[in-house]
This record gives sequence, structure tokens and C-alpha cells, in this order.
Amino acid sequence: MVGKIGKRALPMAAAAAVAAMAMAGCGSTAAVSPSGSAGAGGSGGAKTPLVVYSAQGYDAAVTKAFTAATGIPVNLVDDSTGPLLTKVQAEKNNPQWGLLWVDGDTAFASLDKAGMLASYTPTATLTAAGKALAPSDHSYIPVSTTVMAAVIYNSAKTSTVPSTYDDLATAPYQGKVGMNDPSQSGPTYPFIAGMMNQLGGQSGGMKAGEAYFSKLKSNGLHVYPTNGDTLHALETGQVDYGIIQSSAAAGEVLKAKKSANFDPKVVYLPKATLLPGVIGIDKKAPADVQTEAKQFVDYVLSAAGQKVMQTADQQGDSLYWPVVPGVTASSALPAMPDYQRIDPAFWGPLEGQINTWFDSTIK
Amino acid sequence: MAALSTIAQPKLSIRSRAPSWRGAWWVLFWIAVFGLLVLPIFLFLLVAFSPALFDQGTAWFSLDAFKQVMTPTFLPAVVHSLLVGIGAAIGATVLGGAIAWAVQRTNVPLRGLWGGSMFALLLAPSYLIALGWERLLEPNGVMDVLGVPDAGLRGLIYGPVGVTMVLAVKGLPFAYLAISGALGGLGDEFAAAVRVHGGGRWDAGRITVALLAPAIWSSFAIVFAESISDFGVAATLANDASFPIATYTLYNAVQAFPVDFPVAAAVGWVLLAMAGIAIFAQHRALRGRTYRVLSGRSRNPRRHSMPGRTRAGVGVALGVMVLTTLGVPVFGALSASVINGLGSITGSHAFTFDNYTRVINSPELHEPLLFSVLMGAATATASVTLGLVAARLLTGTGGKISRRMLDLLLLTAVALPGIVFAAGYIFTYNLPLTNALGIHLYGTPALLLLGYIATALPSTTRLLVGTVGQVQQSLPHAARVHGAGPITAWTGTALPLLARPLISAWLLTFGGTLLELPVSELLYPPGQPPVAVGITKALANYDFGGGTAMEVLAILVALTVMGLTWGLWALFAPAGWRRLGAAA
Repeated sequence: MVGKIGKRALPMAAAAAVAAMAMAGCGSTAAVSPSGSAGAGGSGGAKTPLVVYSAQGYDAAVTKAFTAATGIPVNLVDDSTGPLLTKVQAEKNNPQWGLLWVDGDTAFASLDKAGMLASYTPTATLTAAGKALAPSDHSYIPVSTTVMAAVIYNSAKTSTVPSTYDDLATAPYQGKVGMNDPSQSGPTYPFIAGMMNQLGGQSGGMKAGEAYFSKLKSNGLHVYPTNGDTLHALETGQVDYGIIQSSAAAGEVLKAKKSANFDPKVVYLPKATLLPGVIGIDKKAPADVQTEAKQFVDYVLSAAGQKVMQTADQQGDSLYWPVVPGVTASSALPAMPDYQRIDPAFWGPLEGQINTWFDSTIK
Repeated sequence: MAALSTIAQPKLSIRSRAPSWRGAWWVLFWIAVFGLLVLPIFLFLLVAFSPALFDQGTAWFSLDAFKQVMTPTFLPAVVHSLLVGIGAAIGATVLGGAIAWAVQRTNVPLRGLWGGSMFALLLAPSYLIALGWERLLEPNGVMDVLGVPDAGLRGLIYGPVGVTMVLAVKGLPFAYLAISGALGGLGDEFAAAVRVHGGGRWDAGRITVALLAPAIWSSFAIVFAESISDFGVAATLANDASFPIATYTLYNAVQAFPVDFPVAAAVGWVLLAMAGIAIFAQHRALRGRTYRVLSGRSRNPRRHSMPGRTRAGVGVALGVMVLTTLGVPVFGALSASVINGLGSITGSHAFTFDNYTRVINSPELHEPLLFSVLMGAATATASVTLGLVAARLLTGTGGKISRRMLDLLLLTAVALPGIVFAAGYIFTYNLPLTNALGIHLYGTPALLLLGYIATALPSTTRLLVGTVGQVQQSLPHAARVHGAGPITAWTGTALPLLARPLISAWLLTFGGTLLELPVSELLYPPGQPPVAVGITKALANYDFGGGTAMEVLAILVALTVMGLTWGLWALFAPAGWRRLGAAA
């Protein structure tokens, strides 16, 4: 009995809070609708906004330029690859994205297998590397490429430069090599799969690659979470060689202040595995959104689109090799190194298994 | 007789219309709790058994996810999580309690600083604390550069001890606030009664600790649940130290592609079971007792006056504590954002504000920061209001089943890592059915706000439980008898007693929401990123200086809001309100 009267005021306040939340909901929905989907089919002639999920450093500039060029409004969800793929997967029974733009084609191969992608053949022709990366069913579109891996080394501390991956497992490199953890670094799995592909092929399975990484481990390999951490280990002298993504390596060479102790340089070992920037179009998106997404792909592959991509993040993601003829890569990059393309449909499904093996055996 | 009738009349008239009103308000409260917590958690956990339900597999009923989780590597990880959680909870509660005691009940110098540092600590994400330690102790790190031998300490920190310590430090503000709130409401009269009846100082202390039991258990339960669900340490220090904990398995399940939500949900069940153990322990300990000590007769506790040397000693101890808990993450952020190449072999270690000017001049920062501030304020206001009602329900004497249910629900929500919680929100509010009903919440700021409230509500409630449990209901009851309406009765009697803890909880929720990451990442509306997303993006793009500079600026904003709020409190709160809960 005691307390019953006093209790009354509190739920009233809570109800007021709930009402306020509901109002906040209404208000915010209204605030979003002019550029959000609510405004889609309403007034005549208004274009449906294209929802772009992207992890590229230059995406804000590209989407802005695309809207300026075509008049198509874009709602950008800019985040890291991991959370974007989690979002796409969680939305699976009611997708909200129109276009997904992240690095790496293995995830797209999985999305394709799940029937989530609309196929499209862009109007632009592609370079040899671009053609190698494009899937035969055109379910996704490579629009740029980096490679995995670049070996970045501190030339102020060492003059020994590897020329093959096997060199890294020999005495001069003992305890001096660092790489990323594939469980935390998206670009690292393609490198490991690439090594397995190069050493054992699809028929040889994973054995030869596993033996190689075991040799690296015996030689004192260090494993850090991501590109940034491996670079930090290089800067602090914990390692002299870092196996990282080409754009991160080239960016570090541009950014780092050179000194008597630190002078980073990059070498590419045969073969580097292609790690493309890829666009996929949501198959469940309305027809008009799919058309807009296709226009977006064509814009990105156009000279104008490539120019924005190459200038918007000059020390980061802009450091890629173009896959359309006539566009040259940033001067901070060398010519495209000797490369291989791994089959994402074969290696993609093995990602969980290989990462678990790496975490439990190599790390 | 005439006087009696004037008192009795309003009471009767209110009683006659009370049942329908009260019922309606509680229904609304439970609808909010159902929508915020029950549905998203339930639907997410259901995926472990029925992947096909949300298109996450083909089976409508399967135990495969549990089979995948129960591998030989997972079981040790669960045991590790359990041990680390208990260690962190005990450590944080003991240390937090000691700090609360020193600040509230002694004349230790710089009391405001120690209390304020707890708020500041709350704003430091766990990965930043871990990062600070790594920066100090890594090979060729700052200690090595300074020539301090650190191999022994490195071995200790890069392992179970370090993981437990970082989680305890992260839990410290929760423990401090839960216990200091209750300590503020506990007058001297109980200890004095013990002394009057011949009890010694030890007996008086024992009684005080016993009376603080709800707050102590609250602190233990919340730090335990926060620790077992933490991602920041799981992905950094624990991972670098090759010390697997349960959340890392979950991390792998949701970070890999294709994302394995059924396995993540199965891990969620395990975390849920662990939280259940904490709840069970709490109930066993508090069963059948009442802790209502805050009444109209409560007296302000007397501050224990320590002799000069002890006072200085305690002050130094607190200083060392703040330096190691707060100083290390601050160093972690500063080393990356202000000082070029600190702790590295690269060049001159020059002091620079380049990263800050770059960030301040970048238009990408202003809007996310402002957006996050607004969302933080709205979240804090709603969470504190709902949390107050929830705390009242939890500490009340009626509705045993609803009380138990709410308690379990709130701790479950803490024990589930934010990222799976956010995924549960997508499952629930992005159903084709919901959209067909005309509810389009996903992708709007409204759903992000609801997600934030759901994330904050459990900890906000736990923080308030300690103090709310102390308020004797005879106070508003007496006000009603004297003719006050329900709102006036509450604002005139309970609010003055609760104002300080309510403001603390508001600020805490505000600060926590400002840098909240997992829910922000999955639920933010297109084109309106919260500041945490921007920070993570910068860090992921190897812009360590820019990312940490953004982080430091966001923390400064939070600290400014806190300073302003307490300043306004000092200037404008009624003198009586300010006196309550503050030792004389």
C-alpha cells in the first residue's frame, strides 16, 4: 500500500518521455523525407534518392559530383567495410541500400551466390586487370584496384630488400616482419588466400599456403590488427618490414616525415593479389533506383568520375590503379606490379575457415 | 474535525480516479520497454534457433549455431570471460567504493577533481584505455624510449591481468556513481546508533557496508555485465595478448562475411546465461531485506576529518589512481594526436596542433558533433525519465514478477554487446511487415534515438536503483495527505532527494551516448553520421592523428557540458537540494 500514490507521478513522466520520443520520431522522419525514401514517389518528377553504402575515402566527393552531374540525389552511408556488410546482411529480408561500394570481391561473390545482386555491364571498356576482375555473370563491377600485398620497409634501418615471398622466411628477416590479422583487417584475407592460390592453386587446397605461413611464424612473424597498427610497428621499430595493402603503403610513404631513423620504401613481390574496389547493385531495389545505380557506375568509370576519385583522398584510397584505359594512376604509385586474380567464388566461402586457422595457428 | 476533512477530501477524490490513470501510465511504460528492449532482444536471440526467420539461413529450427559455438576453443573463452568479468567487477566495486567513500565522507583534498575524473573516465572508450597501455609498454614504446625497464610489466599487462585491469578501470565510474549516490543518501544516524550501543568503528563500518548492499550489488552486476560484453578490449589487448574471451568469438561471427548472425545469437545466449548468474547472486544477497534509509529525518553525514599525514597520503593515492586510470588513455589519445611520433623512432617528437586545426576546419566534423550532442541530450533525458520509473519498479515492494522480469531484461541488455543489439533493431524495425503497416523507422534519427535509449537505459537504471531504493515513500505520501497533487508531491519531496543522482545519471548517459559506436554504425540515418562513426572511419583509414583529435574534441565537448551543468546547479539549484547528499 505504501508507495502506491507516489508511484503515480513517475509513470506519468515516463509516458511523457515516450510521447516525446514518438514526437521526436515523427519530427525526424519528416525532416528526413525530402531526401529520404518517403519523398520518393510523391510529387511528380522528383527523383528517388539513391542510397549508397560505401567505405571509400573519396565517396562523399564522388556522390556530390554525381548529383551535380545528373541531378540524382544520393543518401550516403559512409562507414568501414565490416559494419556495412553487417548492415547489408541484417537487412537481407528488406534491403534499404541501392548500391554497395567497398574493397574486395569475395563478399560480392557471396552476395551474388545469395541472389542479392542485379547484374550490369558498364558502358566503359576495362583494362586487362579490370577484365580479369569482372565476373562472367556481371553481377558486380570492379571500378578500381589496389593490390595485396605491398611490402613496406624502413630503408633507414635495412638495406636488405626481399625479391620473393620466400625471402621473408629466411634468416635476414628473422623477427623483423609484420602483417595484419585477417580477422580484423579486411584486405588481409585476400593476401592469405592469394598466397594459398599462388603456392598450391585451387586443386592443391590450402596446404602449401599453410606451410608457408607456418615458416613465416617460425621466422618470428609479428601479427598486428590492421594496416595502421602494422605501420605503427614499423614506425616504432618493432619490425622493419610490413605486409600491408598497397594504398596504405603508398600513403605512408607520402605522409611519413623522413629522418635518419625512418625512411619507408615499398617493394612488390611476385605475385601481388588484386584487391579491387567493387560496386554491387541491390537486386531488390525498385527499378528506378537500379537505373540510377547503373548511371552511378558509369559515372564512376567516366573520366570525370575517375578524376574526383583520384583527387579526393590523395594520401589514402585515391592511391589505386585505374581499371579503365586512358586514366593514369597517381604519380605516387609505380606501374602495376606483377599480379594474380583469385577466384572469389572459390576462396570467398573459405574465409571463415582460413581465418580461424590463422588465428589459432599463426597469430 | 473540519481540518481533518480538508486533508482527507483531495485524497479520496484522487483515489476515485486513480486506478484507470495509473493503469494507463504503466501500460505505456511497459509498451516502451517492450518496443525498446523485449522485442529486439527476443527476435535477435531467436535467430540462434531459427535462422530462416530473418533470411539468415534456410532452417526454421536448428541447433547448429550452438554446435558451432561449443568448440574446444570456445569453452576456455567463456571461462576467461567469466573470470575476467568477476575480477573486473570486484576490482571496480572495491576501488570505486573506496574513492566514493574518500570523496563523500572524508576531508581529502581536491574532492571535486576526483569525482570529476570519474566522469572523464567514463568518456574514454575501453579501446583507448587499452591503446594507452599498449603505447606505453609495447616493444620500443614510450617506456623503452625513456629507458625504463618494462619487460615484467609488459608480460603482466599483455595478458589476463591487463585485460581484467582495463575492464575494471572502464567499470570504475559505474561503481563510483552507484556507490556514491547511495552513500550520499546514507546519514550518520545508523553508524551513530551502533556506536551508542557499544559497537566499535569496525561494527559501524560493517553496518554501513550492509546498508549499501543494493548499491554494491548494483555496481557488481553492472560492471560484470559491461565487462563480459565489451568489444574494445576483446579486439585489442585480449587479442594482442592471445587471451581469447567470449566476445571475440562473437566479434568474428559478425565481422566476417557472410556475417553469421545465428552464431552471434548463440554467443548472446551464453552471455545472457552469465548475466543471469549475476542477477541470481544479487537476489540471493538482497532477498527479503529493505534498505529505505532516505527520509525527512535523514541527516547529512559528517565528514570524517583525517589527520594531516593520512589526508595527504589518501590524496596522493587518489592522484596516483587518477594518473594511472585516466592519464593512460589520455596519453594514448594525445600521443597520437598532438605529439608527432611520440614513442617512435621517427624524428623529433615535436608538439603540433595540426591534427586539431585540420579537424576543426573540416566541415565533416561540425555537423556530426552537433548531431551527436543533440542525440546525446535527447537520449539522456528519455533514459533518465524511463530509468527513474524502472528503478522505482525495481526497488518497489509490489509486482514481484514484473520486477524480476524488468531486472533480468535490463541486465540482459547490458550483457549483449551493442553490435548485436543494433542488429536486433534492424531485424525488428526493418521487417517488411512493419513497413507494410506504414512504420518506417529504420534509417531515421528516431530509430537511432530508440537504439541509444535502449543501450543507455539499463546502466542509467542501475545507477539510479541505489538512491531510489533509499527514498522512503512516506514522503510523497505525506505530501498527498496534505493535499498536494501527484506531481507536486513528487517534485516537492522525492525530487530534491534525487536531483543530484538524476543529474549525474543524465550527464553519464549524455557522455556515453556521445561516443557510442556499435549502435551508431548500424542505425545511423543516411547522410547524418554521428561523431563516433567519423572517428572510426578516420582511424580505419590510418588517419590516427585526425581520428584521435576528433575523439579528444568530442570528449572536451562532453566535459564542457558537464562543467556547465554542475556550474548551473551550483548557481541556481535551491540551497536545500544542494545540501542533500553532500557531507557537512
